[in-house]
Amino acid sequence: MSATTFAWLALALPLLGCVVSALGYRAWPGRSVGWVATGALLASFACSVVTLFELLGEPAEERQLVSSLWNYAATTGLDAELSILVDPLSVLMLLVVTGVSSLIHLYSISYMTSDRGYARFFSYLNFFVFSMLLLVLAGNFLVLIIGWAFVGAASYLLISFWYRRRTATEAGIKAFVMNVVGDVGLVLGTFFIFQGTGTLDLLGTFEQVDGAFTENQAGLVAGTVLLLVGAFAKSAQVPLHTWLPDAMEGPTPVSALIHAATMVTAGVYLIARMHPLYEQAPAAGIVGAIIGCATLLIAATTALAQTDLKRVIAYSTMSQIGYMVMAVSAGAYVAGMFHLMTHAFFKALLFMAAGSVIAAMANMQDMDRMGGFRRAMPFTFGCFVVGGLALAGVPPFSGFFSKDEILAYTAERGGIFVVLVAIGYVVAFITAVYTFRVIFRTFLGEPVAEARELEQGHLHHADQPTNPATGEVEDTDVGFPGPDHHVAERAFPMKVAMGVLAVLAVVGGLVQIPGVTHLLDDFLEPTFADSEFYEALDPSPASEYIGLAVGAIVALAGIATAWLVWVRRPGTADAVRARLRPAYALFANRWWFDELIGALVVRPARWLGIFAQNIFERLFVNGTLVGGSTGVVRASSAAVRAVQSGFLRFYVAFFLAGMVGVVLWFLLSA
Amino acid sequence: MSVSLSVLLWLPLAFGLVALVFPVRAVGKVSLLGAVLTLAYAIFALAQFDTGAGLQFVTDEAWIADLGISYKLGIDGLNLFLVLLTALLWVASTLWIELRGIGAHPLVRRRELFFWLALGETAVLGALLAQDLALFVLFFDLMLVPFFFLTGIWGGEQRVAATTKMVIYTLVGSLLMLSAVVATGVLASVQGGQPLTFDLVALAQLGVSEDAQTWIFLFFAAAFLVKMPAFPLHGWMPDAYQNMPLPVLALFSGVLSKVAAYGFLRIVLPLFPEASERFQELVLVVALASILYGSVMAFTTTRVRLILGYSSVAQLGFITLGIFALNGQGAQGALFQAFNHGLVVAPAFFFVALLAARAGGSEDLRDMGGLAFRAPVLAALFLIVALATLAMPGSPNFVGEFLILLGVFQEKIVFAIVASAGVVLAAVYMLRAFIRMMHERTAPEASSLEMRRRDGLVLVPLVAVLLFLAVYPQFALRRSEPAVLAAVGPVRAIIAPPPALELPGFLPGGQVPPGAVPQQVPPGAVPQQVPPGVGP
Repeated sequence: MSATTFAWLALALPLLGCVVSALGYRAWPGRSVGWVATGALLASFACSVVTLFELLGEPAEERQLVSSLWNYAATTGLDAELSILVDPLSVLMLLVVTGVSSLIHLYSISYMTSDRGYARFFSYLNFFVFSMLLLVLAGNFLVLIIGWAFVGAASYLLISFWYRRRTATEAGIKAFVMNVVGDVGLVLGTFFIFQGTGTLDLLGTFEQVDGAFTENQAGLVAGTVLLLVGAFAKSAQVPLHTWLPDAMEGPTPVSALIHAATMVTAGVYLIARMHPLYEQAPAAGIVGAIIGCATLLIAATTALAQTDLKRVIAYSTMSQIGYMVMAVSAGAYVAGMFHLMTHAFFKALLFMAAGSVIAAMANMQDMDRMGGFRRAMPFTFGCFVVGGLALAGVPPFSGFFSKDEILAYTAERGGIFVVLVAIGYVVAFITAVYTFRVIFRTFLGEPVAEARELEQGHLHHADQPTNPATGEVEDTDVGFPGPDHHVAERAFPMKVAMGVLAVLAVVGGLVQIPGVTHLLDDFLEPTFADSEFYEALDPSPASEYIGLAVGAIVALAGIATAWLVWVRRPGTADAVRARLRPAYALFANRWWFDELIGALVVRPARWLGIFAQNIFERLFVNGTLVGGSTGVVRASSAAVRAVQSGFLRFYVAFFLAGMVGVVLWFLLSA
Repeated sequence: MSVSLSVLLWLPLAFGLVALVFPVRAVGKVSLLGAVLTLAYAIFALAQFDTGAGLQFVTDEAWIADLGISYKLGIDGLNLFLVLLTALLWVASTLWIELRGIGAHPLVRRRELFFWLALGETAVLGALLAQDLALFVLFFDLMLVPFFFLTGIWGGEQRVAATTKMVIYTLVGSLLMLSAVVATGVLASVQGGQPLTFDLVALAQLGVSEDAQTWIFLFFAAAFLVKMPAFPLHGWMPDAYQNMPLPVLALFSGVLSKVAAYGFLRIVLPLFPEASERFQELVLVVALASILYGSVMAFTTTRVRLILGYSSVAQLGFITLGIFALNGQGAQGALFQAFNHGLVVAPAFFFVALLAARAGGSEDLRDMGGLAFRAPVLAALFLIVALATLAMPGSPNFVGEFLILLGVFQEKIVFAIVASAGVVLAAVYMLRAFIRMMHERTAPEASSLEMRRRDGLVLVPLVAVLLFLAVYPQFALRRSEPAVLAAVGPVRAIIAPPPALELPGFLPGGQVPPGAVPQQVPPGAVPQQVPPGVGP
């Protein structure tokens, strides 16, 4: 059996898991459906590993395998088959997605235990993984778009998982619609590219792009920028990012799986996958890099001023993806994919640890109410610190190597990219500050009541479950969170999942140490063999080590600052806030993006609808067009009281008279 | 054994008539048997269908020889799947009425009810199968009669006003079309020096002069655009949709509007290519307005039927847009979308019936909410239908929409880009409707109950067909391709030079290599690999 067979298997297993856990939602006894779904994912991961070894068994130049099941839409000039492309890039994604997803499934087995939508949750989770694998394995544009949209739909379903909460359904529809905007961008981008190359097949497109388009030709730039719109919507880059913080309405494993480790990195994957197009249209690459850089700055500053635990991590995700988008847009593909991988480890870990804290707080997410969980939850604390160190980029944690590789390789492009990299270093400092702000405020300081309760061995439960965002009273039936909470210290599956991720967050960076190891470089080489940047961007070891040293200093300085502000002199934050009031307002209000989109798009559309409904439809359509014709009827309506008889006779008579008249006229005139 | 289309055409009516002599309790079952046998026969025709053979199973008899009207029926790629859709939805709807009744009314006058249903099926099948222009117009107008009675007798409170309005609109369109049909036959025959004929194949060969085409085209377009309905000719739609019984509305919205779209492809494009080309932009503007207007209306109304009604206006706008791309991709997408839209809108109306019953009889979003709470199966099936309605990629509707937009993109890029806003708006109104019905807190008068087995009997097969086409849309696409290319052939021959070069100024230097955009693939040139067991 070849690599593609196992890739198909890896793809099929989550789908099977989804269907089986959905259909058997009543039949599966107890919580067994969670294990079924997790088992499907572990099997899928095993298939991915086999795919990897099968692929490595091929000679390097033949590591791009296409396999097709049947014609999907091969008609009138289209050539869309149901095909997958197995190459090092897609296999890397396959491994990261199935690996991290398996752990998150494992975590969910405990975390969601008491939820009344248990089977539905796992069915959705499996569907999400299937969609994500379809996206990364897609062998042509149409399959890619399908995976792309399925991922968006799965994300919607999981954000709105607690569907009786209004806040959750609103966040869900926002995420879905913004993702559809991205889908449309992807579709239109595909049209532009198809118009030049005449094929929807990915490899075929890459082969033909140089011949079909001249460098920076308008059609190609339009197409690639539209693909970027798709990437920005999915990867929460400005200005299409406002759905991601709201998406934190979903259960925490969802935040870890979809809104940190996998789905939101799809945009990064897309740009890396489409690199032959972006190298033929460098202008689009620069757009991508600038937007990525803007996002990493905006998100990091916003994260500084938020108090919702999960939202801070969400903004940090946006910011980190900004780094990746900047890297792959600049041609530093391996660096971007490297950071994608390490970020999946440490961000999933951070979310899991946050989930544990939130459970201990009885679903409360406000950091202002937290503090002193260090002794109550030492394991969670340890995991959060490991994840935080990796995120802040402290050596030798994984994020340290990957972030610095991005900055070193991007700087090699020179010109405007040097400015972007400088901003990247500034944001690295901010990242360390906000990360440790969270850690210090949540885990250090005076233990809050919930922490003290937990130290005495009792997990806090609210008397009456409420929606933490609005305070509305809830019950614990389907569509709301279940009655019990679970913290990592007490649930074995959660502990295992977090432990494995913590180890990966520590050692994940070792695959790519400048001058020492270059496993990822070697592995991804066949995918990027045709890239001009792949060879050209090669910073000298000296500059890389300087970069590493600067990165380490910046990270440590950030942590020290956070320590000074929130631990050593607790009043400092308020003083700074008072002095920098406009900046604080900007950050705390998330740069007013929600208000801006509301004013520019949402409200005008609604006004248009109200105008059409109340004025246009009433006056023009019903008034003139219909009023005129019904007026005629009303005049003769005395004769047309009985619908069945009178009016139909009138109709038939009119019909026949007309027919006879017209026929006669033509026969006579002919 | 060869397929006789006369059997297919008259089978429903025959059973409708036979049912009249049965006791009242058995009438529905006999009618249902007729619908099921019709579907079985349509599937038999599908199995016997030869993709490469053009018009087949032809029945051609002189009918009114003096007027050159013949009784000519035939199936090709254009009507094959619409015939199947008709047969399928009639089974679903007849079954629904037999199992659940027709709405709030107690089921009165059963004999009449099932007779009108059967007549409706024969009328629609006749319009679809007719290969003679006069025969087409006869069946096209006959379609209205059963729906007139079905609405007028079993409809909602405003049924009199609603049917009146609908008939007036349709009447105007029908008369215009009738004169256009007569003119086409007479003018073409006279110019060609032939005896009078209404045979579509003969008419296409004879052709109509360009001047005459202009007004004939407009008359046909008016009739079809009213029937769809398209903005701004949709004035009859809100009242008619509000008052039609839901199982009847499922048929009306699912099938009848498609006959109009089909009419463009079967009659207007092949017979009036010059006029089609001339009025291309006008119709595209109408289509675009329908998309945007329908979408905007759909997300501001709270009445569920109207959400689906305006969404149909928008979807029919997409279909019209695809047809008037005047190329293979657009027309292929439009035809496929016509089938798909019928396949999603009919179950959507059945779901409305189920949900209204759970919301104290109200069909207003404000009285619904939280209906998924105790009904996971209902919610899951409805979700699939809702996502397909908004043309989510992975649904057959997306393939249709993709082809439509690609077709328009190749010809008139601006229309494609503006139309894609309709894709986003569809997500807004459909998801909003789904959430307000199924999710959030349960409304005071509403109670969440799982669907029954008998509801599943109707809905599950429809969803299953939808899922099959989601995985394998090629099943339909490959069978319709030769006929679609033939339909747009005449008008493509007029549009020159090739469309890719027809975008002045938008793509500076964008000289696409000639032949890079395969516009007209000759039938059979496209690889037609079929996985084992799926092909004929």
